[in-house]
Amino acid sequence: MANVAGEPAAAPGQPTPPAAGGPAHARRGLLSPRGELAQRVLALREGSIIVVTLLVALYFSLQTSTFLTSANFKTLLPYFAPFAIMAAGVVFVMILGEIDLSIGATYLVTPFLFYKLATAGLPLVPAVVLALIACMAVGLVNGFFVAIVGISSFVATLGMLFTLEGLSLIVSHGTPVNTPASQVSQTTRYVTHVVNGVHVQLPETVNHISTFARIFGGGTYSELIWALAVVIVLQIVLTFTRWGLYTVAVGSNKLGAAEAGVRVRLVTIRNFILCATTAGLVGILEAVRAGSVQPDPAGANEILLKVIAAAVIGGTLMTGGSGTVVGALIGALFLGILNDGLILQGVNANYLLFYLGLAIILAMTLNVYVQRARRGVGRG
Amino acid sequence: MAEATIPRQASAPVSTAPDDVLRVEHVAKRFGPVTALRDVSLHLRKGEVLGLLGDNGAGKSTLIKIICGFQKQDSGRMFLHGRPYAPRSVDDARAGGIETVYQDLALIDELSVYHNLFLRREHVHRPLPFLANRRMKLAARQALDEIGINIPRIDVAVARLSGGQRQAIAVARTVNSQADILLLDEPLAAMGAKEGSMILDLVARLKHEGRVSILMILHNYVHVLEACDRVSMIENGVIALDKPTAETSVEELTEIVVNEYRRARQRAQGGGG
Repeated sequence: MANVAGEPAAAPGQPTPPAAGGPAHARRGLLSPRGELAQRVLALREGSIIVVTLLVALYFSLQTSTFLTSANFKTLLPYFAPFAIMAAGVVFVMILGEIDLSIGATYLVTPFLFYKLATAGLPLVPAVVLALIACMAVGLVNGFFVAIVGISSFVATLGMLFTLEGLSLIVSHGTPVNTPASQVSQTTRYVTHVVNGVHVQLPETVNHISTFARIFGGGTYSELIWALAVVIVLQIVLTFTRWGLYTVAVGSNKLGAAEAGVRVRLVTIRNFILCATTAGLVGILEAVRAGSVQPDPAGANEILLKVIAAAVIGGTLMTGGSGTVVGALIGALFLGILNDGLILQGVNANYLLFYLGLAIILAMTLNVYVQRARRGVGRG
Repeated sequence: MAEATIPRQASAPVSTAPDDVLRVEHVAKRFGPVTALRDVSLHLRKGEVLGLLGDNGAGKSTLIKIICGFQKQDSGRMFLHGRPYAPRSVDDARAGGIETVYQDLALIDELSVYHNLFLRREHVHRPLPFLANRRMKLAARQALDEIGINIPRIDVAVARLSGGQRQAIAVARTVNSQADILLLDEPLAAMGAKEGSMILDLVARLKHEGRVSILMILHNYVHVLEACDRVSMIENGVIALDKPTAETSVEELTEIVVNEYRRARQRAQGGGG
């Protein structure tokens, strides 16, 4: 957007005057199909992060021969699908201008609860449902202290974070347990091969997991399907229902929303419940996928930070009033690709976090510039 | 206190009329040590435009917020169409046919013009919970055209509009409802002369149609005399004057305020010495 020296400064974002040689409309006409697509993508709120994520993916596919393989896609899934689900929930709280720091702790404690319920003799699916209802209660308590008592959400959910992480250490005695119905069993079967015209039977090991485990996180694409389903449903709720409208209203102007008759407390509590439920769901999915439940508060806290990062990277404001669920999914995808790509590049394990940190800062700087370009496109 | 005689003086007979749509009787409200309303009684007749005057901090906005269900009075009663009226929420008041333009407009910056116009009265695709955005856009366009407010695009966020346009949308939101009582808290505050006169024309038109009754807070006495049938002035938390506009003048209204200043100064000097 450099101005020609001596010209009165044009407002930033105004279309630059056409370069010499060719009337403006002719040039625009020539560029229009491609320009229109770019314009459409960039006009989306998630536009800039989509571009940056594609650039990062392109970089890794050029740098490594293994990035663009289906095997790597499967490796990538657990790096982003769980974060996408949790980020989808936390977006609803962040649009309100609040924060939920207890999602990592909810993620940590819920599979232990599921384990207790299942080992106490409850069937698996009811055990999952009861564990998720307990998560809703956690969200209700968070929402109660924020919306009714009036404690800042940062402090209220920090208290919940420590409480739940402590609780998971108490109930587990600090030792991991096996996730119910999620153990891999192996059977040997004989498969007939034809070798030099001779039929030979050779033993082959086949892994089995239960149908329950396959649905709740154990299947290869299980978490991806959950993530896509949760993201689609919650984006629809956010964009096309009163729930979403009131969420934005409360986050944008709490007093104004209340004056217009929006029940601010109800909206706040409801969103905290939603957020805690997504965290608990991911806790169960991950425990089933791993086959064990680990009492690891440090890991849970890292997940909390990555989830919030995914939401913010995806375009949700920490100050509230604006955010998208699809953006959070792409933010999670961005973090997953970065993590996975750096590993594929053979980055030394000790350097991984270091490079990951630098790459996040670099990519987000790029994001700001893409956003500026986007605003220019939007007005032009 | 020295002015202890004032409330007794005002709590004398509550003036009423047979066609009152709204009656407020002896309403008081305190915020901690601050007394916002000491003893306020007023009535609003059907089809009438009542101007509510008073100094800054006199309690005008508090009274509006009590009538519209946003706050609850400490004591006193209200009657709506002759029946006892005690709204527990803004929705309650709305169900009773009362809509409000707040001093702060209560607009949501991040939401579009039409979502703001229909906030809390959204159209949905029944029985599905999805917003009927197209229907709301059409209705919003129609409502704004009817009022004569020029908003070029109704799908932009209201954050991008000028102060006057925002105010116009807040007024349109109220007028566009089914309400028969409108409470307008300084509807001309952010407006230029042209937009302001448009709102005054709108009020005049509504008065002419006679369907709604309007309680309006204004600061400009010329506007008050032009737009209102009657004025009530709050002073020290009580109604100090209640007169048809035909029987008062800018001079009289100014005189009251000047006297109030004089008394306040004497009190301040007396307290200091």
